[in-house]
Formats: sequence, C-alpha cells, structure tokens
Amino acid sequence: MGILFDGYDQGPFFDEVFAADGSVRPHYTGVIGRLSTFSPAELQRREQIRDRIFRTQGITFTLADDEEGLERTFPMDLLPRVIPADEWDVIERGIVQRVTALNRFLEDLYVGEQAAIHDRVVPRWLVHTAEGFRREAFGIPVPHAARCLVSGVDLVRDADGTYRVLEDNLRNPSGVSYVLENRAAMTRVLPIAFAAERVRPVDHYGPMLLGALRSVAPPAAGDRPTAVILTPGVYNAAYFEHAFLARQMGIELVEGRDLVVEDHVVWMRSTSGIERVDVIYRRIDDDFLDPVVFRPDSMLGVPGLLSAARAGNVTIVNAVGNGVADDKAFYAFVPDLIRFYLGEEPVLPNVTTYLLWEDEQRAEVLGRLDELVVKPVGASGGYGLVIGPQASDAELAAVRAAIEHDPRGYIAQEVVGLSRHPTMVGDAFSGRHVDLRPFAISGEKVEVLPGGLTRVALREGSLVVNSSQGGGSKDTWVLEDAGAAGVAPGGGGGG
Amino acid sequence: MLARLAENLFWAGRYVERAEDTARMVDVTYHTLLESPFGEVGRTWDQLLDVLHLRSVWEERGLGPTSDVQAVVRFLVLDQENQGSIAAATARARENVRSVRELVSSELWEAVNGLHLELRSRDLDRDVAEQPSELLRLVRNASMAIYGVASETMPRDAGWRFLALGRLIERAEMTCRLIDVRYGQLDALRVPARRDVVVEDGGFHHWIAVLKSASAFEAYRRRYRASSNPVDVIEFLLLAHDLPRSVVYCLTSSMHQLEALSQGRPSRAVRLLGRTASSLQYRDVAELLDEDLHEFLEDVQQRIQQVAEAVADEFFRHQPPGAMHAIASS
Repeated sequence: MGILFDGYDQGPFFDEVFAADGSVRPHYTGVIGRLSTFSPAELQRREQIRDRIFRTQGITFTLADDEEGLERTFPMDLLPRVIPADEWDVIERGIVQRVTALNRFLEDLYVGEQAAIHDRVVPRWLVHTAEGFRREAFGIPVPHAARCLVSGVDLVRDADGTYRVLEDNLRNPSGVSYVLENRAAMTRVLPIAFAAERVRPVDHYGPMLLGALRSVAPPAAGDRPTAVILTPGVYNAAYFEHAFLARQMGIELVEGRDLVVEDHVVWMRSTSGIERVDVIYRRIDDDFLDPVVFRPDSMLGVPGLLSAARAGNVTIVNAVGNGVADDKAFYAFVPDLIRFYLGEEPVLPNVTTYLLWEDEQRAEVLGRLDELVVKPVGASGGYGLVIGPQASDAELAAVRAAIEHDPRGYIAQEVVGLSRHPTMVGDAFSGRHVDLRPFAISGEKVEVLPGGLTRVALREGSLVVNSSQGGGSKDTWVLEDAGAAGVAPGGGGGG
Repeated sequence: MLARLAENLFWAGRYVERAEDTARMVDVTYHTLLESPFGEVGRTWDQLLDVLHLRSVWEERGLGPTSDVQAVVRFLVLDQENQGSIAAATARARENVRSVRELVSSELWEAVNGLHLELRSRDLDRDVAEQPSELLRLVRNASMAIYGVASETMPRDAGWRFLALGRLIERAEMTCRLIDVRYGQLDALRVPARRDVVVEDGGFHHWIAVLKSASAFEAYRRRYRASSNPVDVIEFLLLAHDLPRSVVYCLTSSMHQLEALSQGRPSRAVRLLGRTASSLQYRDVAELLDEDLHEFLEDVQQRIQQVAEAVADEFFRHQPPGAMHAIASS
C-alpha cells in the first residue's frame, strides 16, 4: 500500500477506510490504490497547489475574537471521504425524515395547533424556555412549511460505525461553500483520484437552493420573485460563503441598510431606483434581524422586516424562531416528534442524551461526569463543551456546580468515539476524528445534497471538529449506486 | 447595481484621490518652505489648512502653533482622528473597497490593502520627522498604481463609472485647492493680471513646485517653453483640455461618466456638473484673474460639492414611494 500508510494505527476507533482486520473497505479500494502510487513529496507538492488555490480564491473565514480580522483557510485534506450508495441511502432517508418532522413541528408551533405540545410529546415549558424560541414568530407564514429551508444536520459515527445525529442546525448552518470549493479544488489538484469512480456531483447546489427560495415566495410575488441574501457584512466570519452563494445563484448580496420597509413591503435600494424583494435568505441571527422587534441596537437588520413577513409580503429564510429546535435539550425529543408527526421510526438514532432536570438522570450524570460530555443547551460551534474524560478536576467541579445551579441549561451525552479517517499529517497518513454535515434543502419537498462537509479534528486525539476550533475538512464523495449508474465514464462496463 | 455598492465605489475613488492630492500638497508646501524665511512658515501652513478646510479641526484639537512643521505634517499625514489626513483617507478607501470586494478585481483590493498595510508597518513618526518626501511619494505612487490596476482590470460597467466619477470629482476639487494654496500663499508676489507682465523676482520657483506636485512640469515646459509667468501655470492647471489633472479635464471627464450613468434620464447632477464645466471650458484666464481668483475657485468647489450631493440623491438614496410623501409632508 506504499509508505504513506506505514505505521498507520487504527486505534480502538471505527476507521472509515480500514476494516477491523486491516483490509481496505471495498468503497475505498479505488482511491486508496491510486493515491498509494504517490510519494510523500509528490503529495506535499499537491498540498502546496491546494493552498495556493484556496488562498488566491480567498476561501477563508475569520474568527469573531480576532482583532486583526485575520483570514484563515479551512484546510482540505487530500484524501477524500467516500460514502457508498447504500450507506448514503440510509443517511438521506434519515435526514429527509428528520427535517420533515422538524418542519412540521415548527409550523405547528408557530402557526398551527401545537399538537405535539397538547399531546405532551414535548413539554410546553421546555419549548418556552428554549433560547431560540421567539414569541414574535407566531403567525408568520412560510409556504410549504419549509421553515428549515437550509439545514445542516451534523452526523457522527460511533464505534460500530452507526451514523448518529449530533445536532440539527436549523438556524444558519454554514459550510456548504466548502463542499463546493473542496470538490472544485480536488478535481484540479488530484484529478487522478476520480479516475473511474462514479462520484455524485454537488455543483447543482446553487440552482437547487434558488429553486427552493423561489418556491417559498409569497403568493403575491408572481412568477419571477426576487430573492436576496442578507449578510451582516464583510466582518462576519462566514462572509465568504454569503458572497459565494450570491454568485452561485446570481442574486444580490445585501446588507440591512440596502433594504427598507414601507407599508409592510420590503424594498431594495439600487442605483436605478427601488425594487421589491420577495424572499430574504438571511444569514443574520434572529436577534439582529429587526430592531423594532428584537435588539433595538442592531445595526445589521431592517426595521419593520417582521411586520412585512407577518403581512405575508416577504418570506424570511430560515424562518424566525427555528432556534427552539436547536436547543440541545429539545434535541432529545426529536425522535418522539418523528414518531408523532410522521408515524415512523427514526432512521437515524440520536446520541444518548441525559436531561438534567430529571432527578434520576441528573444523579447518574453527576456520578459519572468524567465519562460524559456536557454541553450548554444554547451554544453552537463547540463553545462551552466539556469532555469528561479529557477534563481536569477543576473543570469537572465547575461544570458540576453549573449543572446544579441550572439543570435546564445543560445536557449530558455519552461520549461518542467518533470515527477516524486517515488524514495527511506531515509526510504520512494518520487517523483523525471526523464528522459529517450533509445539507438538506426544504422547498416543495426536502432534498439532500449528496455528501456534505466532512470536518476533521486536526489535533491528534481531539474530538472537536468545528472550524472555529482549528478543524480541517475533506472532500466528501457519495458513490453512485452501481446498479443504477448504467455505463461508467471511460467506456467500462457499469454495475 | 445596489446603491450601497455604487456609493462605496464612488467614495473609494474619492478617498484614494484625497490621500494622493493631500500628499502632493503637503509635499509642495514642505519643500517650498525649505527655501523660505522662517516667518512665512506658520502663515503658509495656515493657508494650507484653510484650503483643505481643516483649520477649525486643527484648532479644536489644540495642537499648538502652525509654525511647528512636524506637528502640522503629522496632523495632515498620519493623524487618524483627522478625517482629512492621508492615513485616515487611506483607511477609509480600504473600508470602501473591502465592502465591494465581490465587484472589483482581487488585484485592486490587493493594491488598496497594500498601501494601507505599508502605512501601518512604517515608522511614520520617523518619516515625518526626517524625510516626509519619501513617504509622500510612496502615497502618490501607490494611489496612481491603484487607479492603474482598476483601469486595467475592471469592466466598464456602472461600478467602474462610479469609481472613476468619485476620483475625478475629488481631483477637480483638490486641483482647485492646489492652485488656491499657492495663489493665496504668494499674495506678496501678486500674480499679474496680464500675461505680458513679467515677474521679476524669484517667486516663480514656487509655481514650478506646484506644477511638479501635479506631475505637470514637463508638460508645461513643452507647451509654454521657458515662460516664467504664473498666469500660464494657472491657465494650464485650470483650463487645459488635455491635462489629466486640470480642473477642466476632470470636469469634462466626470461629465462623460455621469452621462453614461444617468442613461439619458433627466438628471440634476448632469445639469449642475455641465454648468460648472462650461463655466470653465470657454473662459480666458485673464478674465478669471480680473475677478477674484480665490473666490472663483471656492465657488467651483462649492458647485462640485453640490454635484456630489445630487449624485447621492439620484443614485444612492432612493426611497420607497410612500416614504417620499412622508418626507414631503414632514
């Protein structure tokens, strides 16, 4: 297999590439075989080409606490992650099912009968105390109930290789630009890796998203609704992605001050006059969206936006108030919501989660804090996470006190080993933990972009893959179903 | 295009030009004074602050007498709190280009950001104390490079036109000031109102400095040969139809950009700019000198500001139909 894998240690984890007996899993034989012909020096040369592509294209993000506003790249590993068709089928069905149920719940919560609450599937107090719950969203319509128009459901694989949902990310999930840019870079840096593989394309994301955005335009908008992306501006960490998506869809990238609301109608200021706006894909948090309703000091939002949405003159995407379902305690109830709204068993299981306001569960958790992961219910991006087995006594004592003070404010979960994937470190491959964030789009129906963002915890042993915490990424391949593909490119026989 | 982006490009053009022209004016004043009696120093900087409309800022800041050359140069070059300083103009130019990075070439962003980073990495206090000329030349060259890159990389769409319009309008205004600063400073050597009067004293080297600061000295020599008459210099910088830094050239070029942008619609900005341009286009320099040149130049600057206001109203500040009534009735 070549010196690149000499001394590769699988450890006690599920390895994406190698089976327990050390053999290469069938869906990886092609790509591993081709990459093994490279010398370490040649691969490092390709890494330099990759770095140049990312830097010159400005594919970067900035960290919120970085005073210089330094732009960092999100390094893409040269060995892609490969998902076979049968595995993808499970993931896709599971995500469509989950997002469908969550759309139904949110629609029911904000404009419906609140059946799940009346039937005590999820406690009313839990919904009302969720940080992302917004009373102001009551009565705001969303066509097709596509409230989670873009969601980025985070999946991890446990020691058995079972995919489990870690978070749903229904507010403003980012990262899809890396999915597209990673693929584009990969085809330029290592075209040979693709030889004879049938990798499902991802570059239709722009049209797919635009189609969904147009499909949720208010009925009055007519055949050619105007959609825009609303960004907080160039200083936002994900600005690159906002601009990227605007380019992919050919729509305007606007800031709050470009929009003005008059008589519950949203207008965009252009040099030749004003233009009516029908759909706003906002990449601004609820709190900053409309200073009339939320934070009055917000300079990013548009005064009167919510009233325009409530009047049915504009659709805000993702819908206001989705954050209620991003609450990490609420997460524990999603499997029951799937059963309640769809009458189906969940395809993708949750990670085992303990609710700390329940006396028995809290007692158990406090007894084995050093074995569990504790998360604040309202945070994202890996902030505030305490991983028991890696935490110091002082950290454990602090988190114990925090839980006792505010049991609703935290959840505890079993540590998921997180599968590992060979990743170039220096001049050889070594195992690093990965997760997977597929992107689902809800319009008239729910669709999942094949693959998604594979994030890599680059620090050895680290379980935290967030870009803000020093993570990298991998191009993620979903292989065509061999039976469905017909004739393979290059003239070889299909299936 | 989005009004905000157009406005960012317009102001990017203005700020880059402002940094460059301020550098040119500080440079010419500084070097003229090296050869002047000490008593003139404070008065000369006062006049520069006047034409840049920065005297009140200077006084509010309580920065002391203007005979302290280093203090004045520091104020004009690197004082971030002075919105008219080179450092502040450069920083604002960068902010504006940064907001429109999606519309401009990466080379343009790199050029603008490069100047900003260069100014931040230099020991500016030392530059100012020892040899401001090198720093001022750097600003001037960087500004020309920025516009060169823009000119060679941007499609001639509305974005380009707003950038060019901002730069030309700013330059027209600043060239008025450049003439005015020297005209005002040298009132002891009154410029003769007639071309056939020869200035006998050595004052002409001051006008050579003005020509050099406008990168127009060689061109002047080719056209006017050995003439040492300030009237010729003023004519050249104010009225030459083919000199890229003359006021007339800037105004007529602005007119081309503005006409293209307004696409034949009735436009107050076009009317105001057209009148201003024609007030100069067919003038004889002797006529201007018969009047008060300083007042004339102030008047041109005021009209240019009105043009800028009209551009903002016409292109950057559209309101929904209802809001217009609200404003009218309030």
